[in-house]
Amino acid sequence: MSSWEDDDSAAAAAAAAAASTDVELLKRAWRNEKASPEILRFDSPLVSRVREQIQLLEETLDDFGESGVDDLVVSLYQMDLDRTLFLLRSYLRLRLQKIEKYMMHISKSEDLLSRLSQQEQRFAKSCTEMMEKHLEQSVLSKLPYGYDSVTRQSLSSTEDDMVPEPQLDTFVFCKTKSDVGAFQLDDIGEEVVDLVADDLYVLRYKSIKGLVESGQIDLI
Amino acid sequence: MYGRRASQLLKEVDSCEAGQLVPFNSDVFDQVIRECNEHNTQFQSLIRKMVEQNLDIETTRNDDHYGAAVHHLSLLRNKRCLMAYMYNRAEVIQSFRWKIGPVLPHEIQEKLHFSEKEYFKNHSAAIKSYMSEMDIDLTVDMVPPKDPYIQVRVLEDIGEVSLGDHSISLTKNSLHFLRRTDTEQFISQFWISDMELVRKHNQADSKQEW
Repeated sequence: MSSWEDDDSAAAAAAAAAASTDVELLKRAWRNEKASPEILRFDSPLVSRVREQIQLLEETLDDFGESGVDDLVVSLYQMDLDRTLFLLRSYLRLRLQKIEKYMMHISKSEDLLSRLSQQEQRFAKSCTEMMEKHLEQSVLSKLPYGYDSVTRQSLSSTEDDMVPEPQLDTFVFCKTKSDVGAFQLDDIGEEVVDLVADDLYVLRYKSIKGLVESGQIDLI
Repeated sequence: MYGRRASQLLKEVDSCEAGQLVPFNSDVFDQVIRECNEHNTQFQSLIRKMVEQNLDIETTRNDDHYGAAVHHLSLLRNKRCLMAYMYNRAEVIQSFRWKIGPVLPHEIQEKLHFSEKEYFKNHSAAIKSYMSEMDIDLTVDMVPPKDPYIQVRVLEDIGEVSLGDHSISLTKNSLHFLRRTDTEQFISQFWISDMELVRKHNQADSKQEW
């Protein structure tokens, strides 16, 4: 009886340890980024830690090559390195592609811009400039006065109504990490759901946005 | 009918397979632009007519008012269609940078508007400067790695290539078993192909025939 409990707690401890390695954290960030309709906060310290580890792995592999370690061991290390590298590249790429998609929306919001890394901010800025220039010279410069704005349909529009925005009320699959308790899904409190640890849900992104940002829930 | 030509442009984009591009339709595009300016002239002249009759443009609801409104809305619709056309094409063009590389083949170049060519070049440069700032190449590793080694078939004569500590000769149609990281630059340039992908592709084809 007690050995069962020991096993359980040992497994849980191992899982907790695995979940806290940087690669595991990056994997979570990558998964969240992949499933979320809008761009999430860039974790600079995490990315630089992972890059250090990649460098370390590369050096280890070089040493192995010189000292003639067993090929199987080398290829296991190589595999690990390849996977981590893929994860990092895919994560950065995913973010760039999201920036490409919503460049104008991101560029005009301080809050969204602050979620990007320095380099991403520069990328977003130059992307937006280029897209505006492209639309300007191909379409807008040929349209009559009053209809030549990139962000507004015409002079009579009172707000920006031509900027592509992410759909925040789309449904996402998510998994709770710990008990959240009764959670209000809408503003008026008509829909309340009890979020239990390690359970799967399909909810509107907009309503659980805060939980994703605080790390209480993972998107899948 | 107002707006028909503009929607034709979008139908072209829509009927095209996702991620593909049809040639830039400059005929229809120019016609829609002309239509826009025609709407504007009509709109202006109706407004002028109302002003000459000393009517309050804000509150009067006569024939001319509704006529002007139709022209205004048609112009807006045309503008939205033109912008959507350019924007959707630009998105596809952006994706080429990831799928094909910094240089587009001739058959794609032919389909582009001059401004689109310029956009692709600038956009490529932005990605390139991001990658050099971050000191990482994001154009490799597009699919998750399964095995450190893959089997590849050589499509073009590449000649002697040095890979790490040894060099091999990549002649056309030869099969090799290589480190995946060494092959990626050739795969993205369609000089060699990954046999696993080829087999998957063939399987998918034969299933379709059934």
